[in-house]
Amino acid sequence: MVSQQSPSLHTVTAPPFWHCGRTVTGDMYRLLVALVPAALLGVYRFGYDALTVLAVAGLTAVITEALIQRLMEQSPSAHDFTALADGILLAFLLPATAPWWLVVVGSAVTIILGRMVFGGFGGSPVCAPAVGWCVLTVSWPAYMDLNGMLLRWDLVEPLSELKYFGVEAISGISLSSLVFGQNLGALGASQAGLVLAAGVALLCMGQIRWYIPVSYLAGVFGTALIYWLIDPQLYASPLFHLLAGTTMFTAFFLLPYPSASPVFRIPMILFGLMAGALTILIRVYGIYPDGAPFAVLLANLCTPLLDLIQPKPFGGR
Amino acid sequence: MKKLSTATPLSDSIRSIPAPQRVRIALGRGHTPAVKRKQVVGKGQVLAETTSSGPFGVGFVHATIDGIVEDILPEAIIIGPIPSPGEGKEAPVPERPGRAEHKNLADEALVRWLREMGIDTSRFHPSRTVVVNGLNPEPGAFLSEQLLRDERATLDAGINLLERAVRPGNVHLVVARGSGYGLHGAHVVEADPQYPSTLDALVAVTATGSENPEATDVISVADLYRVGRVATTGLPLTEAVLTVEGHAVRVPTGTPIVEVLDALGVQVPAGATVALGGPMTGEAISSLDIGVPENCTAITIVPPGRYPQVGPNPCINCGECVLVCPARIQPGMLSRYAEFALFEETRPRHIAACVECGMCTYVCPANRPVLQYIRLAKHKLEEQDAFVATCRLQDE
Repeated sequence: MVSQQSPSLHTVTAPPFWHCGRTVTGDMYRLLVALVPAALLGVYRFGYDALTVLAVAGLTAVITEALIQRLMEQSPSAHDFTALADGILLAFLLPATAPWWLVVVGSAVTIILGRMVFGGFGGSPVCAPAVGWCVLTVSWPAYMDLNGMLLRWDLVEPLSELKYFGVEAISGISLSSLVFGQNLGALGASQAGLVLAAGVALLCMGQIRWYIPVSYLAGVFGTALIYWLIDPQLYASPLFHLLAGTTMFTAFFLLPYPSASPVFRIPMILFGLMAGALTILIRVYGIYPDGAPFAVLLANLCTPLLDLIQPKPFGGR
Repeated sequence: MKKLSTATPLSDSIRSIPAPQRVRIALGRGHTPAVKRKQVVGKGQVLAETTSSGPFGVGFVHATIDGIVEDILPEAIIIGPIPSPGEGKEAPVPERPGRAEHKNLADEALVRWLREMGIDTSRFHPSRTVVVNGLNPEPGAFLSEQLLRDERATLDAGINLLERAVRPGNVHLVVARGSGYGLHGAHVVEADPQYPSTLDALVAVTATGSENPEATDVISVADLYRVGRVATTGLPLTEAVLTVEGHAVRVPTGTPIVEVLDALGVQVPAGATVALGGPMTGEAISSLDIGVPENCTAITIVPPGRYPQVGPNPCINCGECVLVCPARIQPGMLSRYAEFALFEETRPRHIAACVECGMCTYVCPANRPVLQYIRLAKHKLEEQDAFVATCRLQDE
């Protein structure tokens, strides 16, 4: 009998032969697509400048990574979109009117200090865009001041108002205006509703896990609730803190940054709660209106410690 | 992440295919050939015996078709068609062994008899709890449920014989929730057919509630079926039952895989991976000419390009592998130690707990060969241990 099988070579590999189909490229692609609505609303609110910031941040990140990889004799990895994603995540935290050089510096710092010094994407123990944001905020506070940079609009930045003028000043800011990003704020991160939607979409696709975002939001809510219960005249309501500033963006995009967050379940929950509490502490006692990215970095530093809380291995007594 | 269910629609029936002209019957390490080249053998005749004589161990090897021994290789015996005799000579008649009785045997004598009939008895031990894994072990490999549905009588005969041979304390049968399968005298436990909880080590946990079950043997439905087949026919084991791409088929052991695929009309695309066993723990083969092993339960075909290519990409520390790991260890971390040859570091990180389910590689977004690295580390550690043991012996 003549066989129907074509004479051909077979691929011989070690099992498993199946894969769920996820790739870094695919993950980053979905992340970028998920952020598009929030970016579009940011551009709609803040105009053409916002688009420039997004473009410059993304481009600088990709170019910086390529240059450094050349220096480090690594193979280029711009095609996996991780550098682009880091650049865009940074842009989401910046004021839409940030000067181009600030964006370039921030984006380059994100890639160099946030990633390449640790060997590249996946090696960094800190969230790269948060590093970029923190360096800019500490170095050029005036250019990073959302209220000051966005004077063109006759609106206020809720967290700055709270910081400098107290709870009275934010009484006019409705929660729905926070959800729809109708106040001043960071380019994309202030579109709380759309950022939340993007995060939930990625959560449903299984790309990010609920442990960190949910525990972070719980941490923010719980800590803010304690202060609010102590004195509602002095401290803002927990719902305000959940929706104002970069809380939502931090919960879904900065805090679960893959290499900088714990991997076991209980450590992930503790990590989220800790970052949430730190966010509120920085907002209440710190000198910066919104300390979420600072909280992220501080929590990142605890990741290796938290990951020591491990379950017993299979069959362990 | 998509859940990896092993619930699979069953085939209408277990098909047979035309008997092959030539079979290639695999030999193990412990086998010594009992036939000579050019010897005429009948179906069921012993081809190779085992070197160890105890009741528990791999089984004898039998001819699975009538024919002539064409070649005896270290790893296989090839039986081909009997050539037509010359002028005036009578064609040799292959002798088939008759039905053997086992009614009067019990305990070790019965186990020994099973072994002589070709059953691998190394998984059986006297007076222990027996867990029959009635879940399809891997996605796409549905032989277990097919046998539970279509071959209940043979399986019951297998249980009866095992009860006489090893006198198990308890017999548990773990089946998919709502499937309604049962076995004579077995305590039925229902479980979700979700890989990797369908693997033997985890099925034992489902059945006994302990991760270190004392005195427990897990056997597959296919193992039990082989025992039952020998018990009901009284003839040596000469066939394998397996599933291929939605078909269930019964073939003489050693049938070239290419003939099985042809008979079922299954096409293997160029460059595909063809594996004996399921898609998660199977063994890839390089040629379709090799014979179906007796314990083969599935042939898996994975077309090229269906899944992202696994390669030596850097770990991104996302922790997906940790979340899916049934052994609750850090596969990504272990794979990195192995990648940089720090094998000793994997020991305190519980590499021994790994059950090799392959979920870590399956979910890895960086497409790293996580389990492959872990296996490398395990192998290197074993080598080291063996080396250390030898050195100690020399010192004494």
